Amino acid sequence: MHPKERRLATTRRDFLLRSGGAAVSLSSISGLLAACGSTTPADNGAGGGWPTGAGGIPLARPSHPVTLERWEAPIASGMKPETGGTFTIFNYPEYIDTAVLKAFGKKYGVTVKVTPFDDITTGVTKLASGTVSPDVTEMTPDLLPRVVAGKLVKPLNLDYIPNLKNVWSGFRSPYYDVGSRYGVPYTVYSTGIAYRTDRVKEDIPNLKPNPWDIFWHAQAYKGKTALLSEVRETIAMALLHRGIKDINTEDPKRVNQAVKDLQELYKVCSIKVGDLQYQTVPEDKAWLNQAWSGDMLAGYLYYLPNKETGKLLRFWNPGYGNGPIGSDLWSICSTTKKPVLAHLFLNYMLDNGVAYKNFVDFNGYQPPLDEIQPETLISKGVIPESLADSVLTERDFGGKALVEGPLTTAGQSLWQDGYATFQSGA
Amino acid sequence: MSQTVAHAPAVGYVQRLRGRLGNRWGKPRFLVLVTWGYIVWSIVPVLVAIQFSFNDSRSLSVWHGFTLKWYTSTDPSIDSVFHSADLHGALEQSLKLAGLDVLIATPIGVFLALGLARWRGRGSGASNFLMLFPLVTPEIVAGVSLLILFSRLLRFVPFGTVAQLLGHVTFSISYVVVIVRGRLFSIGPSYEEAAADLGAAPAAALYRVLLPLLLPAIVASAAIVFAISIDDFVISQWLSSGANSTTVPVAIYAATRATPEPSTDGIATVIMLITLLSVIAGVLVYRIFTRGESGRGSAVDDIAGLGI
Amino acid sequence: MYPRWLWPLSALPGVVWLLILFLLPLYAVLALAFGTVDPILLSGVPAWNPLDWNPGWMSHVLDLLVPGNILWDVFLRTCRYVVISLVGCILIGYPVAYYVARHASRTKSLLLILLVLPFWISYLMRMLAWINLLSPGGYGLRFLSDTGISSVLHHLGIISDPSNYLSGQSFTVILALIYGYIPFFILPLYASLDRIDQSHLEAARDLGASPFRAFLHVTLPLSKTGLLGGAVLITLPMFGDYYTPNIVSGAPSTTMIGNQIDLYFHGGPQPTIGAAITVLLAGFLMILMLYYMRTVHRASRELAA
Repeated sequence: MHPKERRLATTRRDFLLRSGGAAVSLSSISGLLAACGSTTPADNGAGGGWPTGAGGIPLARPSHPVTLERWEAPIASGMKPETGGTFTIFNYPEYIDTAVLKAFGKKYGVTVKVTPFDDITTGVTKLASGTVSPDVTEMTPDLLPRVVAGKLVKPLNLDYIPNLKNVWSGFRSPYYDVGSRYGVPYTVYSTGIAYRTDRVKEDIPNLKPNPWDIFWHAQAYKGKTALLSEVRETIAMALLHRGIKDINTEDPKRVNQAVKDLQELYKVCSIKVGDLQYQTVPEDKAWLNQAWSGDMLAGYLYYLPNKETGKLLRFWNPGYGNGPIGSDLWSICSTTKKPVLAHLFLNYMLDNGVAYKNFVDFNGYQPPLDEIQPETLISKGVIPESLADSVLTERDFGGKALVEGPLTTAGQSLWQDGYATFQSGA
Repeated sequence: MSQTVAHAPAVGYVQRLRGRLGNRWGKPRFLVLVTWGYIVWSIVPVLVAIQFSFNDSRSLSVWHGFTLKWYTSTDPSIDSVFHSADLHGALEQSLKLAGLDVLIATPIGVFLALGLARWRGRGSGASNFLMLFPLVTPEIVAGVSLLILFSRLLRFVPFGTVAQLLGHVTFSISYVVVIVRGRLFSIGPSYEEAAADLGAAPAAALYRVLLPLLLPAIVASAAIVFAISIDDFVISQWLSSGANSTTVPVAIYAATRATPEPSTDGIATVIMLITLLSVIAGVLVYRIFTRGESGRGSAVDDIAGLGI
Repeated sequence: MYPRWLWPLSALPGVVWLLILFLLPLYAVLALAFGTVDPILLSGVPAWNPLDWNPGWMSHVLDLLVPGNILWDVFLRTCRYVVISLVGCILIGYPVAYYVARHASRTKSLLLILLVLPFWISYLMRMLAWINLLSPGGYGLRFLSDTGISSVLHHLGIISDPSNYLSGQSFTVILALIYGYIPFFILPLYASLDRIDQSHLEAARDLGASPFRAFLHVTLPLSKTGLLGGAVLITLPMFGDYYTPNIVSGAPSTTMIGNQIDLYFHGGPQPTIGAAITVLLAGFLMILMLYYMRTVHRASRELAA
């Protein structure tokens, strides 16, 4: 054979081999990824020991805290903040009080703008592809190692963030980021069910076999139900519905079953997905929603069309060890041109006064700060008794808490693919 | 005499009616009904949207009275069109992109039209094909392809205004070419040839004969590019970098997916008025410049001809 | 009279622009569809060299397209919407175009302006208008229930919930698609009907044909190019539409292929899948696109000659 022919024949055979051999199913995606020139070592937990995720970082769990390596040196201490221009925050829409932002902008002479993302997974995709270049971003513990490994967020210099001492002791150095090297906490929340008592007849907290089951019997609420548009939350709920408490499972059988269960909901109640329950439920556009604990409080504190509606809002909190609890963080983006100001922003959000204002005037999501005592707020009437379940304490974050932790790359793809299947509405 | 006059049939009402209904080649009533029915169905929803931009309540469907607050209110709890930073910013961004799009796409398109119409060599067919391609490409393919290009290959191009502008221009050029080329064909080569016979150099013939004759088409295509750019949604959304580069259609889309308010109707009305004004201006200029010319081409025919 | 190099030179900036910013991006989609996924951030890595192409993602997508799997269902649903909308556009649009082209003498200019008007009204505003009409309490909703049309549609199974048109109703999506795209169908059809010489019809009439037969045997064949041109002109963008279902329905049960591409690109799984679907969609539409471009190309060549 002519040397050139030989070369071409080899590559063509390679091509054919790879395509012919790809009897693809959901679980073989991990095979695809492994074959695709991944250079991260031990990326699928093989070889014994604790599983690792992106960039070889061990998967963080409350029982297995992880210290994230600094990929660059943090900025030096004692510098002056940058002023002028725009300061961009990358976040869920309507998740931070504009008055709070305006005050920050005024204090430091910048225009503060919020670029919204639909959900955190979409947000990380946008950061990764470079389509947005914000200064600070909201982040969740399960995706934090991924954005650290991908160098999308900067290590912090805690000298600029003295207000970190205001935070609950358990959160000053959380299991997913020992030493708070990359993020500071913003809010804490649990995931449960939000509903209106005037529309939903069932006694949800006491439903058998478990309250999640209401969605699979919600024919009477067709078109008025929704789930959170989040990869982790939807599938976790379907798992919990079946009594599976391991919401970090990477077992394809379990995840596929969960997705199938979710797909049933289209027939049962024309389920939708979205993160706007804090507005749609008070406005009577939705009656029964998977929701975060802050949503009904936000509805009560800010979005109420009238006082009577306030008495109708309820939130069922699964309780310690029975449902997902989580926290949102602030991280500083690598693309920022104002790193000092970004640090000061993180510090600003941990200020007791600012956090209280943000919580009570607008957000409804509780900041994990020592000075903000939810019991006091309930006794003072700021938070109504009917929504007493929407607040959390440090105890809820104890050893038995169910957290949505980071997954291996294969696991992350498995969950995201499952969610996409659910989202396709087939 | 009275007989002849009397012979002219005194056509009574009944006879005329019978004539109308019986004449199968006369005006078909059914078609008139369908046409005007369609026109009403086409326009009325938009009028309702405009109406509700003045609605004195948050509702988009139940009328509560007339107010201008969704346009002019400075109350911080109301996102008014002229005072809300987001809506105002979207208006600015839309106009900025449209203006720049016209300035860049029109010259490129005019030169391309000239070149394609008169180039006889190799490659002219392929170039013509290339020019037609964007007209038939579905927008989502356009959005996806440009997103990949700017995030994976030409990384130095920042998302936001720059990327959006490049995308807009790419898909505006073909419209300019089609419109200008139509005008070129109706002008024909005779004017320039006459100028050459009278001793004009080629450059002068181009500048002083052809260009003024092309001017109406150039203006018409500028108006169309402006309108297309303002109404563009897919490319603006896919290539946006967030809050700073939201355009009006993107803002409307985001609002409809969350909670639309009358101010959404308001900003849509404002941008519609701007578009209509620019198109009317373009048509008027076109008419003025082509006054007295016989032969093909009203602006509407040019636009209608875009379909074929 | 002009130097030969003038015209290619004049075309050069435009051609170069289109090569870099139109053709090259299309290749980028191919490269990503046959590319790989960065395991850290799960973002796509295009394979620029065809020899490095990885067919795994494309075969995964093709697997999903097998009848019974999710992409196939979405694709079928999209085809259904497009075909029904096209038929609706023809049924409404042809009479309108015909009337304006052939019968409206006095009101022709006015009608033309009214027909062209939707071009200059933002597509999104026209969709927004339906939200105004079909939201609870809206004029459209009240009209539909008062006239009983709502209950008829409900009875026939076309609407699953007569009080809620804006969530998960295929009917609303198709209605919105027809509303949105019909102006783009009517105008080319009008142009083609307008060009038909009246004398042909008069000849048919003189030969004793009834108006209906004259239409069938004279007008319809002569308007064929306009009809096909308009049909192609609206079918292509309709296949890639994702914002219309999102605005007037918002539920996953009415998603179209465009929504899938949007989801896979923005929602995070693997953009390689989004790129692969885009490539397949473009390939599928290529037949229509090539036909259309050939027709225009030939027409413009005829004009030039």
